[in-house]
Amino acid sequence: MPRILTRENAIRWAPLLVLLALIVLFTAINPSFLSQRNFARIAIAATPALMVAVGVTFIIVMGSIDLSMEGVVSLTAVLFCFLMLALGGTLASGGWIAIPVILAVGAAVGLVNGLIHVKLKIPSFMASLALGFVGTGAAILLTGGDIVKFNDPTFRALLTWRILGFPLMVYVAGLCLVLAWFIQAHTRLGRYFYAVGGGEELAHASGVRVRQVRMAGFSLAGFFYAIAAILQVAKLGQAESVTGSNFMFMSITSVVVGGVALWGGVGGVWNTLVGVLIVAVINNGMVVIGLPDFLQAAVLGLLVIIAVILSTDRRSVAFVK
Amino acid sequence: MSTFIKDFIERETINRRNFLLATAAGMGAMAVPFGLGGGGAQAALTDPAIAWSYRDRASAYWNSIVSGGEAFVESLGKPKDSLVSLINEGSSEKSLADIKAFLAKTNGKCAIACDANDSPNARPVVEAVRDAGAYISTIWNKTDDLHPWDIGDNYVSHMTWSDEKPAEQTARILFEAMGGKGGVVHLGGIAANNPAIERLNGLKNALKDFPNIELLDAQSADWDTTKGTELMASFLTRFGDKITGVHCANDNIAYGVIEALRAEGIEGMPIVAYDGNPEAVKLVMDGKLLATVFTNPHWGGGITAALAYYAATGAFKPSEEPKEHREFYGPTILISNKDAADFKAKYLDTVPSYNWKDFWGPGNGQIKYK
Repeated sequence: MPRILTRENAIRWAPLLVLLALIVLFTAINPSFLSQRNFARIAIAATPALMVAVGVTFIIVMGSIDLSMEGVVSLTAVLFCFLMLALGGTLASGGWIAIPVILAVGAAVGLVNGLIHVKLKIPSFMASLALGFVGTGAAILLTGGDIVKFNDPTFRALLTWRILGFPLMVYVAGLCLVLAWFIQAHTRLGRYFYAVGGGEELAHASGVRVRQVRMAGFSLAGFFYAIAAILQVAKLGQAESVTGSNFMFMSITSVVVGGVALWGGVGGVWNTLVGVLIVAVINNGMVVIGLPDFLQAAVLGLLVIIAVILSTDRRSVAFVK
Repeated sequence: MSTFIKDFIERETINRRNFLLATAAGMGAMAVPFGLGGGGAQAALTDPAIAWSYRDRASAYWNSIVSGGEAFVESLGKPKDSLVSLINEGSSEKSLADIKAFLAKTNGKCAIACDANDSPNARPVVEAVRDAGAYISTIWNKTDDLHPWDIGDNYVSHMTWSDEKPAEQTARILFEAMGGKGGVVHLGGIAANNPAIERLNGLKNALKDFPNIELLDAQSADWDTTKGTELMASFLTRFGDKITGVHCANDNIAYGVIEALRAEGIEGMPIVAYDGNPEAVKLVMDGKLLATVFTNPHWGGGITAALAYYAATGAFKPSEEPKEHREFYGPTILISNKDAADFKAKYLDTVPSYNWKDFWGPGNGQIKYK
């Protein structure tokens, strides 16, 4: 019989145990935390963030980083609203065309990001950070600082139509998560991400076209940011030049808390799901138990550090940079 | 200790004798202008350059400020782009550096309207303007100990908005809609921001007259729509049906609250907001919001530039004006369901044309310090 209580197993399951422990803790303090309605609220809060985090997971698995998500989400959200309104303002009147168009725009922006990083040999954090600013700037230019409202009831059904108590957007995000898992586990590209993250020179020597893999990764991330933008519009009924703000901290924290290593090659989209849920549960739980708001940022920071300590195998790395 | 550090400490340590000499020299220098008869005769500027220094273009508020500044320069027969935008992007250092560069470029022949980004930055900004012989009017941010009359004619005026009273009025409208009983939650702005503090104080003032209304909790939603939805959702878990009314610190937060309630299928919850943004006014007309408050940024942007400009040209002399013309509150307009349509027609559908020489007519009296 294989041993269950090995060190590897403990680390693999640590993020999930952290999540369960948090749920038990918050429920003990305020039992209404453990209700189906509250789980739906947490799911709504987590859904767009999950899509951003899934996108950046591929990049982090490759050992790179992408900081463009705030700009890309703002830009694609604003473009999505404009396009929807230009196409008649409802899904039924042809507005649905906006969805594939915006997903393509997201992928294209990601590809540009990858090209800048790979072709101009600029470190990924710098290239993506700069492109993120370009995205935010473009969104400001397009909106002139105003809010674009988009309230087609059919489209908003993503938020308002519930199945088994959870809104439709949660299921849409679930399907996208399965798609991401399929790419990660069952495609050549997915395996190459791990190969590049685990050892770039080795992957290159083995015939993996590392530069193309990187560009594909950034493009894929942009695609998922665009999904996040559409779900964020569904959640808020509006887009503006700050629609994407806070997603950078939220998504990268979630990815790391979920046990995806920043040095690459470790973890995957399921870790990211657990990480996003941990951060969303902490955010919701702190209000539900009545923690004063001036303590919340500090407590979030501490819980994140604890979660990372528990959920990464730091013994296997020689140094952390 | 290395010689470098030792030398440095020696250089930086104030020698008692030098300190006394420097103090005496400084006091003497300060006395000189008084000996020459106050601020001295300042020549009025002909056709000074005009600039607006503000935070960013990513919000309707600052865009509206700039539109007012542009309307003012157009009233002088100049093109819109003769108003120079100095955008500080939330950095006080950049704000000061941009203003110094503008002073150097125009050789002090300029009038500046400015939000100094944060309170401590207002003093270096107005001192730089005074030293260059230019003119400045400020809004929102300055410390309580800084007054235009202490700096001289070059610091023309300061305008800010008192949010306490209007926030109290919206709270009263909210409590009446709640039938004078129940539980209210407050979703606030960034906790350290002055308007956020004043808006919460307004709510608390109104609560004193409504003993059957309980303030369940007040937390910061950072002026942000997304934060507003998530905070409201968590409040719903914590308090459930006990929440019968919502007091929001601004319109953006209210948009988030409305969406959090929409997700739960909750209709008709009484909500009040602040800022008077076009979308919020529409929500008031549709009955989704009870009230919001408009601070007329278009007028604020125009009149602040006008004050600095006309002081520079010598059209009026600031030191001859009473104190309430040099530090005053800007106008606030409460918008409720009764008057939202009128308000929209008057202020949003058409931009009213203002008399940019009526500097103090729409104001709300002299600033009071607590």
